[in-house]
Amino acid sequence: MQTFLDIATILLPLAYLLVAIDYGFLFFASQPFAERTATPALRGTVLLHFAYLVGEVVQWKQLPAATVPQALSVVAFAVAVVYVFVEWHGRARTTGFWLVSLVFFFQLLSTILGAMLTHSSPPDRAIFHDPFFSLHVSLALLGYAAFVVSAAYAFLFLQLYRDLKAGRFSTFYGKLPPLEVLEKMMIGAIWVGFVTLTGAVATGAFWAERLPNTPSLHDPKILFTLAIWALYGAALLMRKLRRWQGRQTALASLTGFGVILFSLMAVNLFLTGFHGFL
Amino acid sequence: MSSDSKSSPPSDLPLLLIGTDFRCSPLELRERVSFAKEEAEKALVHLLARAEVAEAFLLSTCNRTELYLQPRDEDGAYQAALDMVFLARAPELERPGRLYVKRNGEAARHLMAVASGLESMVLGEPEILGQVKQASVLAEAVGAEGPVLKRLLRSATSAGRRTRQETAISAGAVSIGYAIVELARQIFSGLEECRVLMVGAGEIAHSVTRPLLERGARELVVANRSLERAAQFKEEFPSAELVPFDRRQDEAAQADLVVVSTGADEPVLTRKHIAQAMRARPSRPLLVVDLGVPRNVEPAAGKVENVFLHTIDSLDLLIQRNLKRRRDEVPRAEEIIEQELHHFRAWFRALGAEPLIARLQKQAERIRQHELADALPRFPAETHADLERLTRSLVRKILHHPSSRLRDGADDLSRLDLVRELFHLDDDEIG
Repeated sequence: MQTFLDIATILLPLAYLLVAIDYGFLFFASQPFAERTATPALRGTVLLHFAYLVGEVVQWKQLPAATVPQALSVVAFAVAVVYVFVEWHGRARTTGFWLVSLVFFFQLLSTILGAMLTHSSPPDRAIFHDPFFSLHVSLALLGYAAFVVSAAYAFLFLQLYRDLKAGRFSTFYGKLPPLEVLEKMMIGAIWVGFVTLTGAVATGAFWAERLPNTPSLHDPKILFTLAIWALYGAALLMRKLRRWQGRQTALASLTGFGVILFSLMAVNLFLTGFHGFL
Repeated sequence: MSSDSKSSPPSDLPLLLIGTDFRCSPLELRERVSFAKEEAEKALVHLLARAEVAEAFLLSTCNRTELYLQPRDEDGAYQAALDMVFLARAPELERPGRLYVKRNGEAARHLMAVASGLESMVLGEPEILGQVKQASVLAEAVGAEGPVLKRLLRSATSAGRRTRQETAISAGAVSIGYAIVELARQIFSGLEECRVLMVGAGEIAHSVTRPLLERGARELVVANRSLERAAQFKEEFPSAELVPFDRRQDEAAQADLVVVSTGADEPVLTRKHIAQAMRARPSRPLLVVDLGVPRNVEPAAGKVENVFLHTIDSLDLLIQRNLKRRRDEVPRAEEIIEQELHHFRAWFRALGAEPLIARLQKQAERIRQHELADALPRFPAETHADLERLTRSLVRKILHHPSSRLRDGADDLSRLDLVRELFHLDDDEIG
């Protein structure tokens, strides 16, 4: 099993890179070869990724979210699954290059950090076997994945918005779904992320209460998570109250994405005390 | 008169094309050699009455008149077609450069290029494929299409369909009306849900409204100063709702797409109007297209959040971009045409081998029946049906490969002669 996991760790970013290149040919050059191969290649890679995560569960007998590399890989997988669903639903195949590139980025980070940080097993703590904790972590990772998806659509929305505003008609024009569809997807992803992160915060607070030593609320991980939650919540509120348009929401989504990256990387690795496992 | 200088091998496609189009002739000449349906029927019937013409097909559109012939006698067919179809109606076409003549493979290639929109005034325009199909139906109805032209037209329509499906030769709008449709489709989920406000009801408004309605716009509101002109607009587009010109700002708040084309010297929609309209509407984008010269919408209106203001210049930029994309697709379209031409040539070559293949099969069948008749009495009756099936299958399988090779290499006369000699196909006696 360990051999399979070692090989898959190397293979996954490479496979996602190839798939991203394939989708790139589809987006930039409308290559017939890419038309035929991009979707099956992505689905195959996602299946490999699924097998890898199942292998991690079997190997360590716990949720594959005990370390930052594992968490990044789960986020990458969740984004890939969301995109496979979006594509299957038939709304936006041309956004594949951008979403798969993000998946590649997260999986590459996972592999690099995995090689740098651990050469042994993930920490085996009792909490990782607690179903309530598993729910907390799953909700948090799903929320982050949804925010990553919203950031991808926010980026595309802004590109198209600028093109249409300036009458530039660059590469993005004519290849992306309509502006309204991109906005709906971005907002939909923010709602999913916000609801699941709310669940993660609530379950985290409830679970922390049960611990013998309640962690400090000033822990950077908690502060950053609450900041992310507040930022996206404020963006949704501003849409309702102040009639924020797509552009402002897209900017908020990209800002939130930056904070998430910082939280997942720097805070988890260097700043947090009790939350170092994720 | 231009003509292909390339000489073709004797076995090349027996085709002759005489035609004129927008590149060779002005409109006044083209309209004289333009054929309505009944006229085209008559012309084809008269042509077929000539001994020199075996098959004929006439394509007549506003931009071209082309006559395709499968001649029995090329010179005679050429002269007859020239006189009857072209010079009788427009003697000026005799002047050099007014007509083009293509022969053999070049004629076939030209028809495929026409059907693919490569020869059209607007590169890749879609209507021509339908016109080729209509002309084909007409030729078939009067019996002017024989096997060669029928197969050529099948290849041409296939080329036309493939170039549009497999390349971007018809992609993107290349007229103002469709450019607005394209812009709207890049902004809104669907044109069906868009409310369109036309400010101005002149000729430009008419030409823009047509593609918008054709592509699904349902709600149409018109604000025009002159009620008379607004009524004319309503007459042409009965689904349009007329509103007073003064209400244009209120209507802009309800609309998704505003097209402004008035003769006003000053902006009829200002930044203030648009900003107020945006405040009064839910957070939905607004596409404003200003087709007026001088401009009818204050340029600063484009700075309002979620407002996309486009002028005649930006639409022209879009059209030029789309035209360039279409031009870039020409080599891929030409590849498809070459493939279809290759298939057509192969079919034509195979046509020459068919009589020989038929004789070969007939001879084999006679041998089979002869041998079977001798053999069957020696076998039990219940095996006869199996033996019949077995021998048929054997003959079919033995002849399959030689038949295919004969069809593929039907232009190689020595090969046909060899087969004829090897199997005594000129001799009715079975050895």
